[in-house]
Amino acid sequence: MDYFLDIFLIAISAALINNFVFYYFVGICPFIGVSRKIDMAVGMGCAVTFVITIAAFLSWTITTLILIPGAPLSSFVAGFFVTEAQAATIDLTILSYIVYIFAIASSVQFVEMYIRKFFPLLYKSFGVFLPLITTNCAILFACLTIMSNVAGVENPADAWGLGKSLTLAFCGGMGFTLAIVIMSGIREELDFCDIPASLEGAAITLIVAGIISMAFMGFAGVDSGLRKAMESGEITFRSQLKLPDSESQISVLLAAFTK
Amino acid sequence: MPLITITLAAGTLVSMALILTYILGWTNKAFHVDVDPRVDSINNALPGVNCGGCGYIGCNEYAQAIVDNGAKVDLCTVGGDNCAEALADIMGVEIEISLPLRPVVHCIANYGDRLGRSEYVGEQICAAANLVADVQGCIYGCLGFGDCSRVCDYDAINVIDGLATVDYEKCVGCGACARVCPRNVITITPFKSDQIFAVTCSNKDMGKNVTKVCKQGCITCKACTRHSSLFTIFDNLSTINYDGYDPENLETIIKATDKCPRNVIRLVGKTPENNHDLPKNEDDSELALPDFKTTVDDTEWRG
Repeated sequence: MDYFLDIFLIAISAALINNFVFYYFVGICPFIGVSRKIDMAVGMGCAVTFVITIAAFLSWTITTLILIPGAPLSSFVAGFFVTEAQAATIDLTILSYIVYIFAIASSVQFVEMYIRKFFPLLYKSFGVFLPLITTNCAILFACLTIMSNVAGVENPADAWGLGKSLTLAFCGGMGFTLAIVIMSGIREELDFCDIPASLEGAAITLIVAGIISMAFMGFAGVDSGLRKAMESGEITFRSQLKLPDSESQISVLLAAFTK
Repeated sequence: MPLITITLAAGTLVSMALILTYILGWTNKAFHVDVDPRVDSINNALPGVNCGGCGYIGCNEYAQAIVDNGAKVDLCTVGGDNCAEALADIMGVEIEISLPLRPVVHCIANYGDRLGRSEYVGEQICAAANLVADVQGCIYGCLGFGDCSRVCDYDAINVIDGLATVDYEKCVGCGACARVCPRNVITITPFKSDQIFAVTCSNKDMGKNVTKVCKQGCITCKACTRHSSLFTIFDNLSTINYDGYDPENLETIIKATDKCPRNVIRLVGKTPENNHDLPKNEDDSELALPDFKTTVDDTEWRG
Protein backbone atom coordinates (compact mmCIF):
# COMPACT_ATOMS: atom_id res chain seq x y z
CA MET A 1 0.00 0.00 0.00
CA ASP A 2 2.88 2.29 0.82
CA TYR A 3 4.36 1.58 -2.58
CA PHE A 4 1.22 2.69 -4.39
CA LEU A 5 1.03 5.78 -2.23
CA ASP A 6 4.59 6.57 -3.26
CA ILE A 7 3.80 6.04 -6.92
CA PHE A 8 0.70 8.20 -6.69
CA LEU A 9 2.53 11.00 -4.97
CA ILE A 10 5.45 10.84 -7.39
CA ALA A 11 2.98 11.02 -10.26
CA ILE A 12 1.14 14.06 -8.91
CA SER A 13 4.36 15.74 -7.92
CA ALA A 14 5.99 15.32 -11.31
CA ALA A 15 2.92 16.40 -13.26
CA LEU A 16 1.50 19.25 -11.21
CA ILE A 17 3.37 20.29 -8.11
CA ASN A 18 6.96 20.15 -9.31
CA ASN A 19 6.05 20.65 -12.95
CA PHE A 20 9.15 20.36 -15.11
CA VAL A 21 8.47 23.61 -16.93
CA PHE A 22 6.92 25.76 -14.23
CA TYR A 23 8.86 24.67 -11.16
CA TYR A 24 12.21 23.46 -12.42
CA PHE A 25 12.30 25.56 -15.63
CA VAL A 26 13.66 22.79 -17.81
CA GLY A 27 12.50 22.16 -21.35
CA ILE A 28 11.78 25.82 -22.03
CA CYS A 29 13.08 25.73 -25.62
CA PRO A 30 10.26 23.66 -27.08
CA PHE A 31 7.86 25.16 -24.55
CA ILE A 32 8.31 28.61 -26.08
CA GLY A 33 9.23 27.54 -29.57
CA VAL A 34 6.45 25.11 -30.42
CA SER A 35 3.58 26.56 -28.44
CA ARG A 36 1.98 28.67 -31.14
CA LYS A 37 -0.71 26.26 -32.17
CA ILE A 38 -2.52 23.75 -30.03
CA ASP A 39 -2.19 20.77 -32.37
CA MET A 40 1.55 21.27 -32.75
CA ALA A 41 1.83 21.65 -28.99
CA VAL A 42 0.01 18.38 -28.41
CA GLY A 43 2.29 16.66 -30.90
CA MET A 44 5.37 18.02 -29.21
CA GLY A 45 4.10 17.04 -25.77
CA CYS A 46 3.39 13.49 -26.91
CA ALA A 47 6.83 13.22 -28.49
CA VAL A 48 8.51 14.46 -25.31
CA THR A 49 6.52 12.06 -23.13
CA PHE A 50 7.42 9.19 -25.38
CA VAL A 51 11.12 9.97 -25.47
CA ILE A 52 11.34 10.76 -21.78
CA THR A 53 9.84 7.39 -20.83
CA ILE A 54 12.21 5.47 -23.05
CA ALA A 55 15.17 7.51 -21.85
CA ALA A 56 14.21 6.95 -18.21
CA PHE A 57 13.99 3.22 -18.77
CA LEU A 58 17.41 3.12 -20.39
CA SER A 59 19.05 5.37 -17.85
CA TRP A 60 17.62 3.51 -14.85
CA THR A 61 18.78 0.23 -16.34
CA ILE A 62 22.27 1.46 -17.07
CA THR A 63 22.57 3.19 -13.70
CA THR A 64 21.51 0.15 -11.74
CA LEU A 65 23.47 -2.34 -13.79
CA ILE A 66 26.69 -0.47 -14.44
CA LEU A 67 27.16 2.86 -12.78
CA ILE A 68 26.38 2.71 -9.08
CA PRO A 69 28.85 1.17 -6.64
CA GLY A 70 28.16 -2.51 -6.37
CA ALA A 71 26.41 -2.69 -9.70
CA PRO A 72 26.21 -6.22 -11.06
CA LEU A 73 27.90 -5.83 -14.41
CA SER A 74 30.79 -3.63 -13.38
CA SER A 75 31.59 -5.66 -10.27
CA PHE A 76 31.47 -8.79 -12.37
CA VAL A 77 34.02 -7.42 -14.79
CA ALA A 78 36.13 -5.88 -12.05
CA GLY A 79 35.98 -9.14 -10.10
CA PHE A 80 38.45 -10.61 -12.58
CA PHE A 81 41.09 -8.11 -11.59
CA VAL A 82 40.55 -7.16 -7.96
CA THR A 83 38.87 -8.69 -4.93
CA GLU A 84 35.11 -8.74 -4.55
CA ALA A 85 35.10 -6.23 -1.75
CA GLN A 86 37.10 -3.73 -3.73
CA ALA A 87 35.01 -4.36 -6.82
CA ALA A 88 31.93 -3.34 -4.89
CA THR A 89 33.32 0.13 -4.20
CA ILE A 90 33.91 1.12 -7.82
CA ASP A 91 31.75 4.17 -8.45
CA LEU A 92 31.15 5.00 -12.10
CA THR A 93 28.46 7.62 -11.54
CA ILE A 94 30.77 10.29 -12.91
CA LEU A 95 29.95 8.86 -16.32
CA SER A 96 26.29 9.53 -15.85
CA TYR A 97 25.94 12.63 -18.04
CA ILE A 98 27.82 11.18 -20.96
CA VAL A 99 26.12 7.82 -20.77
CA TYR A 100 22.68 9.35 -20.52
CA ILE A 101 23.17 11.60 -23.52
CA PHE A 102 24.53 8.63 -25.41
CA ALA A 103 21.54 6.48 -24.55
CA ILE A 104 18.99 9.22 -25.21
CA ALA A 105 20.42 10.21 -28.57
CA SER A 106 20.64 6.66 -29.86
CA SER A 107 17.22 5.68 -28.58
CA VAL A 108 15.67 8.74 -30.21
CA GLN A 109 17.36 7.85 -33.49
CA PHE A 110 16.11 4.30 -33.23
CA VAL A 111 12.58 5.42 -32.44
CA GLU A 112 12.57 7.90 -35.29
CA MET A 113 13.62 5.26 -37.80
CA TYR A 114 11.02 2.85 -36.43
CA ILE A 115 8.22 5.40 -36.65
CA ARG A 116 9.25 6.49 -40.12
CA LYS A 117 9.03 2.93 -41.36
CA PHE A 118 5.91 1.66 -39.66
CA PHE A 119 3.80 4.74 -38.91
CA PRO A 120 4.34 7.16 -41.80
CA LEU A 121 1.35 9.33 -40.94
CA LEU A 122 2.53 9.67 -37.35
CA TYR A 123 5.98 10.53 -38.66
CA LYS A 124 4.53 13.30 -40.82
CA SER A 125 2.75 14.81 -37.84
CA PHE A 126 5.47 14.79 -35.21
CA GLY A 127 8.52 13.18 -36.75
CA VAL A 128 10.29 16.50 -37.01
CA PHE A 129 10.23 17.01 -33.26
CA LEU A 130 12.18 13.89 -32.38
CA PRO A 131 15.61 15.26 -33.30
CA LEU A 132 14.63 18.55 -31.65
CA ILE A 133 14.08 16.90 -28.29
CA THR A 134 17.14 14.70 -28.31
CA THR A 135 19.12 17.10 -26.17
CA ASN A 136 16.16 18.74 -24.57
CA CYS A 137 17.13 19.35 -20.97
CA ALA A 138 13.83 18.01 -19.69
CA ILE A 139 14.86 14.51 -20.75
CA LEU A 140 18.27 14.75 -19.16
CA PHE A 141 16.71 16.30 -16.06
CA ALA A 142 14.42 13.32 -15.63
CA CYS A 143 17.34 10.94 -16.01
CA LEU A 144 19.44 12.84 -13.48
CA THR A 145 16.58 12.95 -11.00
CA ILE A 146 16.26 9.21 -11.30
CA MET A 147 19.98 8.83 -10.82
CA SER A 148 19.99 10.97 -7.69
CA ASN A 149 17.20 8.82 -6.29
CA VAL A 150 19.04 5.61 -7.13
CA ALA A 151 22.62 6.50 -6.34
CA GLY A 152 22.26 9.45 -4.00
CA VAL A 153 20.17 7.96 -1.21
CA GLU A 154 21.77 7.04 2.09
CA ASN A 155 19.60 3.99 2.65
CA PRO A 156 19.95 1.54 -0.25
CA ALA A 157 16.47 0.24 0.46
CA ASP A 158 15.08 3.66 -0.49
CA ALA A 159 16.64 3.53 -3.94
CA TRP A 160 14.03 3.88 -6.64
CA GLY A 161 12.98 0.86 -8.64
CA LEU A 162 11.92 0.80 -12.24
CA GLY A 163 8.28 1.54 -11.43
CA LYS A 164 8.96 4.79 -9.63
CA SER A 165 11.45 5.91 -12.27
CA LEU A 166 9.04 5.30 -15.11
CA THR A 167 6.26 7.02 -13.18
CA LEU A 168 8.38 10.09 -12.70
CA ALA A 169 9.32 10.15 -16.35
CA PHE A 170 5.88 9.54 -17.78
CA CYS A 171 4.12 11.95 -15.47
CA GLY A 172 6.85 14.51 -15.98
CA GLY A 173 6.18 14.23 -19.69
CA MET A 174 2.47 14.57 -19.08
CA GLY A 175 3.13 17.67 -17.00
CA PHE A 176 5.20 19.08 -19.82
CA THR A 177 2.36 18.36 -22.24
CA LEU A 178 -0.07 20.10 -19.92
CA ALA A 179 2.23 23.10 -19.69
CA ILE A 180 2.78 23.41 -23.41
CA VAL A 181 -0.91 22.97 -24.24
CA ILE A 182 -1.92 25.62 -21.70
CA MET A 183 0.66 27.97 -23.16
CA SER A 184 -0.42 27.33 -26.74
CA GLY A 185 -4.06 27.95 -25.84
CA ILE A 186 -3.15 31.27 -24.29
CA ARG A 187 -0.91 32.23 -27.20
CA GLU A 188 -3.62 31.45 -29.73
CA GLU A 189 -5.88 33.86 -27.87
CA LEU A 190 -3.08 36.42 -27.63
CA ASP A 191 -2.91 36.49 -31.43
CA PHE A 192 -6.17 38.39 -31.42
CA CYS A 193 -5.18 40.82 -28.71
CA ASP A 194 -3.74 44.29 -28.94
CA ILE A 195 -0.28 43.85 -27.47
CA PRO A 196 1.98 46.89 -27.04
CA ALA A 197 4.65 46.86 -29.70
CA SER A 198 7.49 46.58 -27.21
CA LEU A 199 6.03 43.42 -25.70
CA GLU A 200 5.19 41.48 -28.83
CA GLY A 201 6.71 38.08 -29.49
CA ALA A 202 9.03 36.55 -26.93
CA ALA A 203 8.45 39.21 -24.29
CA ILE A 204 4.76 38.62 -23.80
CA THR A 205 5.34 34.87 -23.96
CA LEU A 206 7.83 34.97 -21.14
CA ILE A 207 5.58 37.21 -19.07
CA VAL A 208 2.71 34.78 -19.54
CA ALA A 209 4.97 31.86 -18.65
CA GLY A 210 6.02 33.62 -15.47
CA ILE A 211 2.43 34.28 -14.48
CA ILE A 212 1.49 30.66 -15.07
CA SER A 213 4.50 29.59 -12.96
CA MET A 214 3.25 31.75 -10.14
CA ALA A 215 -0.17 30.18 -10.52
CA PHE A 216 1.31 26.71 -10.30
CA MET A 217 3.03 27.71 -7.08
CA GLY A 218 -0.39 27.29 -5.57
CA PHE A 219 0.22 23.56 -5.68
CA ALA A 220 3.23 23.80 -3.40
CA GLY A 221 3.09 21.53 -0.40
CA VAL A 222 0.24 19.43 -1.73
CA ASP A 223 2.32 16.28 -1.96
CA SER A 224 3.71 16.42 1.57
CA GLY A 225 0.29 17.41 2.90
CA LEU A 226 -1.33 14.52 1.08
CA ARG A 227 1.31 12.16 2.36
CA LYS A 228 0.74 13.26 5.94
CA ALA A 229 -3.01 13.08 5.55
CA MET A 230 -3.03 9.63 4.02
CA GLU A 231 -0.43 8.15 6.33
CA SER A 232 -1.91 9.36 9.56
CA GLY A 233 -5.50 8.73 8.52
CA GLU A 234 -6.70 12.20 9.36
CA ILE A 235 -9.16 12.31 6.50
CA THR A 236 -12.69 11.74 7.73
CA PHE A 237 -15.79 11.65 5.62
CA ARG A 238 -18.63 13.72 6.94
CA SER A 239 -22.22 12.67 6.36
CA GLN A 240 -24.31 14.90 4.18
CA LEU A 241 -26.89 15.69 6.84
CA LYS A 242 -24.57 17.18 9.38
CA LEU A 243 -23.49 20.74 8.77
CA PRO A 244 -19.72 21.09 8.71
CA ASP A 245 -18.53 22.32 12.06
CA SER A 246 -15.98 25.01 11.27
CA GLU A 247 -14.07 24.72 14.53
CA SER A 248 -13.45 21.02 14.32
CA GLN A 249 -12.53 21.43 10.64
CA ILE A 250 -9.79 23.91 11.46
CA SER A 251 -8.48 21.76 14.31
CA VAL A 252 -8.22 18.79 11.95
CA LEU A 253 -6.28 20.84 9.41
CA LEU A 254 -3.95 22.20 12.08
CA ALA A 255 -3.38 18.71 13.44
CA ALA A 256 -2.50 17.45 9.95
CA PHE A 257 0.02 20.17 9.19
CA THR A 258 1.69 20.47 12.54
CA LYS A 259 2.23 16.72 13.06
CA MET B 1 42.54 0.55 -8.14
CA PRO B 2 42.08 3.86 -9.88
CA LEU B 3 43.39 2.10 -12.95
CA ILE B 4 40.53 -0.33 -12.69
CA THR B 5 38.02 2.49 -12.45
CA ILE B 6 39.50 4.24 -15.45
CA THR B 7 39.56 1.05 -17.45
CA LEU B 8 36.01 0.23 -16.50
CA ALA B 9 34.83 3.71 -17.40
CA ALA B 10 36.56 3.64 -20.75
CA GLY B 11 35.37 0.11 -21.35
CA THR B 12 31.79 1.05 -20.59
CA LEU B 13 31.82 3.90 -23.06
CA VAL B 14 33.59 1.96 -25.78
CA SER B 15 31.29 -1.01 -25.46
CA MET B 16 28.21 1.21 -25.42
CA ALA B 17 29.51 2.93 -28.52
CA LEU B 18 30.08 -0.34 -30.31
CA ILE B 19 26.78 -1.88 -29.34
CA LEU B 20 24.68 1.19 -30.08
CA THR B 21 26.41 1.90 -33.36
CA TYR B 22 25.87 -1.65 -34.42
CA ILE B 23 22.19 -1.49 -33.46
CA LEU B 24 21.67 1.82 -35.22
CA GLY B 25 23.41 0.61 -38.32
CA TRP B 26 21.27 -2.49 -38.44
CA THR B 27 18.17 -0.35 -37.86
CA ASN B 28 19.08 1.95 -40.69
CA LYS B 29 19.22 -1.00 -43.07
CA ALA B 30 16.23 -2.82 -41.69
CA PHE B 31 13.90 0.18 -41.45
CA HIS B 32 14.97 1.76 -44.66
CA VAL B 33 12.26 3.82 -46.30
CA ASP B 34 12.44 4.10 -50.05
CA VAL B 35 12.35 7.76 -50.85
CA ASP B 36 12.52 8.63 -54.47
CA PRO B 37 15.39 11.15 -54.76
CA ARG B 38 13.45 12.94 -57.44
CA VAL B 39 10.98 14.09 -54.78
CA ASP B 40 13.78 15.97 -53.05
CA SER B 41 15.06 17.60 -56.20
CA ILE B 42 11.54 18.53 -57.25
CA ASN B 43 10.96 20.04 -53.82
CA ASN B 44 14.06 22.14 -54.29
CA ALA B 45 12.93 23.31 -57.72
CA LEU B 46 9.47 24.31 -56.53
CA PRO B 47 9.07 27.78 -54.99
CA GLY B 48 8.02 26.34 -51.63
CA VAL B 49 5.19 28.82 -51.15
CA ASN B 50 2.46 26.21 -50.46
CA CYS B 51 -0.18 28.41 -52.13
CA GLY B 52 -2.31 25.55 -53.47
CA GLY B 53 -2.51 27.03 -56.95
CA CYS B 54 -1.42 23.72 -58.47
CA GLY B 55 -4.42 22.01 -56.94
CA TYR B 56 -2.46 20.12 -54.31
CA ILE B 57 -2.26 20.97 -50.66
CA GLY B 58 1.35 22.05 -50.58
CA CYS B 59 4.54 21.95 -52.59
CA ASN B 60 5.55 18.63 -51.06
CA GLU B 61 2.19 17.07 -51.98
CA TYR B 62 2.62 18.27 -55.54
CA ALA B 63 6.12 16.81 -55.67
CA GLN B 64 4.82 13.46 -54.43
CA ALA B 65 2.00 13.57 -56.96
CA ILE B 66 4.40 14.24 -59.81
CA VAL B 67 6.57 11.29 -58.89
CA ASP B 68 3.87 8.85 -57.80
CA ASN B 69 0.89 9.69 -59.97
CA GLY B 70 2.50 11.42 -62.92
CA ALA B 71 0.88 14.80 -62.37
CA LYS B 72 1.63 17.39 -65.00
CA VAL B 73 4.76 19.39 -64.38
CA ASP B 74 3.42 22.75 -65.50
CA LEU B 75 0.77 23.22 -62.80
CA CYS B 76 2.81 25.55 -60.62
CA THR B 77 1.53 29.07 -61.26
CA VAL B 78 4.06 30.70 -58.97
CA GLY B 79 7.09 29.05 -60.47
CA GLY B 80 5.93 29.67 -64.00
CA ASP B 81 7.92 28.63 -67.01
CA ASN B 82 11.31 28.27 -65.30
CA CYS B 83 9.91 25.93 -62.71
CA ALA B 84 8.04 23.86 -65.31
CA GLU B 85 11.23 23.50 -67.33
CA ALA B 86 13.22 22.46 -64.26
CA LEU B 87 10.60 19.90 -63.31
CA ALA B 88 10.46 18.58 -66.84
CA ASP B 89 14.24 18.16 -66.72
CA ILE B 90 14.10 16.23 -63.48
CA MET B 91 11.29 13.96 -64.61
CA GLY B 92 12.56 13.62 -68.16
CA VAL B 93 9.32 14.65 -69.85
CA GLU B 94 8.50 17.11 -72.57
CA ILE B 95 6.40 20.16 -71.92
CA GLU B 96 4.82 22.74 -74.07
CA ILE B 97 5.30 26.35 -73.05
CA SER B 98 2.45 27.28 -70.73
CA LEU B 99 1.13 30.75 -70.31
CA PRO B 100 0.96 32.67 -67.07
CA LEU B 101 -2.54 32.56 -65.64
CA ARG B 102 -3.66 35.78 -64.06
CA PRO B 103 -6.99 37.09 -62.76
CA VAL B 104 -9.10 39.47 -64.75
CA VAL B 105 -11.75 41.43 -62.85
CA HIS B 106 -14.76 41.70 -65.14
CA CYS B 107 -16.06 44.92 -63.67
CA ILE B 108 -14.93 48.48 -64.14
CA ALA B 109 -17.46 50.40 -62.08
CA ASN B 110 -16.33 52.42 -59.08
CA TYR B 111 -18.68 53.46 -56.30
CA GLY B 112 -19.64 56.54 -58.28
CA ASP B 113 -20.63 54.53 -61.35
CA ARG B 114 -22.86 52.15 -59.49
CA LEU B 115 -26.46 53.31 -59.36
CA GLY B 116 -29.07 52.13 -56.91
CA ARG B 117 -26.65 51.66 -54.00
CA SER B 118 -28.09 51.57 -50.54
CA GLU B 119 -26.47 51.57 -47.16
CA TYR B 120 -25.73 48.00 -46.15
CA VAL B 121 -25.33 47.44 -42.44
CA GLY B 122 -24.90 43.69 -42.42
CA GLU B 123 -21.69 41.69 -42.28
CA GLN B 124 -19.26 43.63 -44.45
CA ILE B 125 -18.19 40.68 -46.59
CA CYS B 126 -19.09 40.02 -50.21
CA ALA B 127 -20.46 36.57 -49.49
CA ALA B 128 -23.03 38.02 -47.11
CA ALA B 129 -23.83 41.12 -49.15
CA ASN B 130 -24.43 38.92 -52.17
CA LEU B 131 -27.34 37.24 -50.41
CA VAL B 132 -29.12 40.49 -49.70
CA ALA B 133 -31.12 42.36 -52.34
CA ASP B 134 -30.49 45.97 -53.32
CA VAL B 135 -27.02 46.48 -51.90
CA GLN B 136 -26.33 47.94 -55.32
CA GLY B 137 -28.29 48.09 -58.53
CA CYS B 138 -26.13 45.70 -60.54
CA ILE B 139 -26.54 42.14 -59.32
CA TYR B 140 -23.65 40.81 -61.40
CA GLY B 141 -20.81 43.15 -60.68
CA CYS B 142 -18.17 43.66 -58.04
CA LEU B 143 -19.56 44.46 -54.58
CA GLY B 144 -16.34 45.89 -53.19
CA PHE B 145 -16.38 44.46 -49.65
CA GLY B 146 -12.99 42.87 -50.18
CA ASP B 147 -13.34 39.09 -49.86
CA CYS B 148 -10.80 38.70 -52.66
CA SER B 149 -8.43 41.13 -51.01
CA ARG B 150 -8.55 39.32 -47.68
CA VAL B 151 -7.90 35.93 -49.19
CA CYS B 152 -4.91 37.08 -51.25
CA ASP B 153 -1.64 36.18 -49.56
CA TYR B 154 0.43 38.37 -51.85
CA ASP B 155 -1.32 41.75 -51.47
CA ALA B 156 -2.02 41.59 -55.21
CA ILE B 157 -5.69 42.53 -55.27
CA ASN B 158 -7.17 45.45 -53.39
CA VAL B 159 -10.47 47.27 -53.34
CA ILE B 160 -9.83 50.76 -54.68
CA ASP B 161 -12.87 53.05 -54.67
CA GLY B 162 -15.18 50.07 -54.43
CA LEU B 163 -13.67 48.09 -57.29
CA ALA B 164 -11.35 45.10 -56.93
CA THR B 165 -8.13 46.03 -58.68
CA VAL B 166 -5.32 43.59 -59.42
CA ASP B 167 -1.68 44.51 -59.00
CA TYR B 168 -0.16 42.36 -61.72
CA GLU B 169 3.37 42.89 -60.44
CA LYS B 170 2.59 41.06 -57.19
CA CYS B 171 0.14 38.50 -58.48
CA VAL B 172 1.37 34.91 -58.68
CA GLY B 173 -1.76 33.39 -60.18
CA CYS B 174 -2.79 31.07 -57.37
CA GLY B 175 -6.46 31.62 -58.16
CA ALA B 176 -7.67 32.22 -54.62
CA CYS B 177 -9.47 35.46 -55.50
CA ALA B 178 -11.41 33.85 -58.33
CA ARG B 179 -12.48 30.98 -56.09
CA VAL B 180 -13.71 33.21 -53.32
CA CYS B 181 -15.65 35.81 -55.33
CA PRO B 182 -19.35 35.01 -54.73
CA ARG B 183 -20.40 36.61 -58.02
CA ASN B 184 -17.64 35.02 -60.11
CA VAL B 185 -16.56 38.43 -61.38
CA ILE B 186 -12.91 37.32 -61.49
CA THR B 187 -11.74 34.79 -64.05
CA ILE B 188 -8.29 33.28 -64.31
CA THR B 189 -7.15 33.91 -67.84
CA PRO B 190 -4.03 32.92 -69.76
CA PHE B 191 -2.09 36.07 -70.48
CA LYS B 192 -0.45 35.72 -73.84
CA SER B 193 1.33 39.00 -73.30
CA ASP B 194 1.90 41.35 -70.40
CA GLN B 195 -1.24 43.26 -71.27
CA ILE B 196 -4.33 41.79 -72.89
CA PHE B 197 -7.70 43.14 -73.88
CA ALA B 198 -10.60 42.09 -71.72
CA VAL B 199 -14.29 42.83 -71.47
CA THR B 200 -14.58 44.49 -68.08
CA CYS B 201 -18.22 43.80 -67.39
CA SER B 202 -20.23 40.88 -66.09
CA ASN B 203 -23.74 42.25 -66.55
CA LYS B 204 -26.00 39.70 -68.22
CA ASP B 205 -28.80 42.17 -68.95
CA MET B 206 -29.39 44.29 -72.05
CA GLY B 207 -29.87 47.91 -72.92
CA LYS B 208 -31.89 50.04 -70.51
CA ASN B 209 -31.71 47.47 -67.73
CA VAL B 210 -27.94 47.97 -67.68
CA THR B 211 -27.91 51.75 -67.90
CA LYS B 212 -30.36 51.89 -65.02
CA VAL B 213 -27.90 50.18 -62.69
CA CYS B 214 -24.48 51.19 -63.95
CA LYS B 215 -22.82 54.01 -65.82
CA GLN B 216 -20.19 51.68 -67.28
CA GLY B 217 -21.73 48.32 -68.09
CA CYS B 218 -22.00 46.39 -71.37
CA ILE B 219 -25.42 46.96 -73.00
CA THR B 220 -25.07 44.12 -75.53
CA CYS B 221 -25.17 46.33 -78.59
CA LYS B 222 -23.12 43.66 -80.41
CA ALA B 223 -20.91 46.24 -82.12
CA CYS B 224 -17.78 44.32 -81.05
CA THR B 225 -18.95 41.08 -82.64
CA ARG B 226 -19.42 42.88 -85.94
CA HIS B 227 -15.76 43.92 -86.01
CA SER B 228 -13.96 40.92 -84.58
CA SER B 229 -14.73 37.23 -84.58
CA LEU B 230 -13.05 36.78 -81.23
CA PHE B 231 -16.02 38.39 -79.46
CA THR B 232 -19.07 36.25 -78.83
CA ILE B 233 -22.24 37.14 -77.00
CA PHE B 234 -22.90 34.71 -74.22
CA ASP B 235 -25.86 35.36 -71.92
CA ASN B 236 -26.17 38.94 -73.22
CA LEU B 237 -22.56 39.57 -72.34
CA SER B 238 -19.67 40.02 -74.73
CA THR B 239 -16.75 37.67 -74.07
CA ILE B 240 -13.39 37.30 -75.74
CA ASN B 241 -12.24 33.87 -76.89
CA TYR B 242 -8.64 33.80 -75.63
CA ASP B 243 -7.70 30.66 -77.53
CA GLY B 244 -7.70 32.63 -80.73
CA TYR B 245 -6.22 35.75 -79.13
CA ASP B 246 -2.99 36.63 -80.91
CA PRO B 247 -0.91 39.45 -79.42
CA GLU B 248 0.64 40.15 -82.82
CA ASN B 249 -2.68 40.55 -84.61
CA LEU B 250 -4.76 42.93 -82.59
CA GLU B 251 -6.22 45.21 -85.26
CA THR B 252 -9.73 43.80 -85.21
CA ILE B 253 -9.82 43.89 -81.45
CA ILE B 254 -8.58 47.47 -81.40
CA LYS B 255 -11.27 48.41 -83.87
CA ALA B 256 -13.88 46.74 -81.72
CA THR B 257 -12.50 48.57 -78.70
CA ASP B 258 -12.88 51.90 -80.47
CA LYS B 259 -16.40 51.13 -81.58
CA CYS B 260 -17.64 50.07 -78.18
CA PRO B 261 -20.05 52.82 -77.08
CA ARG B 262 -19.65 52.02 -73.37
CA ASN B 263 -15.86 51.64 -73.34
CA VAL B 264 -15.90 48.31 -71.52
CA ILE B 265 -13.13 46.68 -73.55
CA ARG B 266 -9.92 47.67 -71.82
CA LEU B 267 -6.31 46.66 -71.51
CA VAL B 268 -5.53 44.75 -68.32
CA GLY B 269 -2.21 43.51 -67.11
CA LYS B 270 1.22 44.74 -66.17
CA THR B 271 1.79 48.26 -67.33
CA PRO B 272 4.89 48.49 -69.50
CA GLU B 273 7.86 50.18 -67.85
CA ASN B 274 8.07 53.20 -70.10
CA ASN B 275 4.51 54.25 -69.43
CA HIS B 276 4.94 57.67 -67.87
CA ASP B 277 1.29 58.60 -68.17
CA LEU B 278 0.10 56.68 -65.16
CA PRO B 279 0.83 58.47 -61.89
CA LYS B 280 2.76 56.40 -59.40
CA ASN B 281 0.92 55.56 -56.21
CA GLU B 282 2.63 57.26 -53.26
CA ASP B 283 1.92 54.30 -50.99
CA ASP B 284 3.85 51.87 -53.16
CA SER B 285 7.37 51.31 -51.87
CA GLU B 286 10.17 51.47 -54.39
CA LEU B 287 11.00 47.83 -54.07
CA ALA B 288 7.85 45.76 -53.94
CA LEU B 289 9.22 42.43 -52.80
CA PRO B 290 6.82 39.49 -52.79
CA ASP B 291 5.68 38.58 -49.32
CA PHE B 292 5.49 34.82 -49.37
CA LYS B 293 3.46 33.65 -46.46
CA THR B 294 3.27 29.93 -46.10
CA THR B 295 0.52 27.92 -44.58
CA VAL B 296 3.06 26.13 -42.46
CA ASP B 297 3.66 27.05 -38.88
CA ASP B 298 6.70 29.11 -38.08
CA THR B 299 8.75 26.04 -37.28
CA GLU B 300 9.39 26.01 -41.05
CA TRP B 301 8.81 22.33 -41.39
CA ARG B 302 8.33 21.86 -45.13
CA GLY B 303 7.46 18.20 -44.94
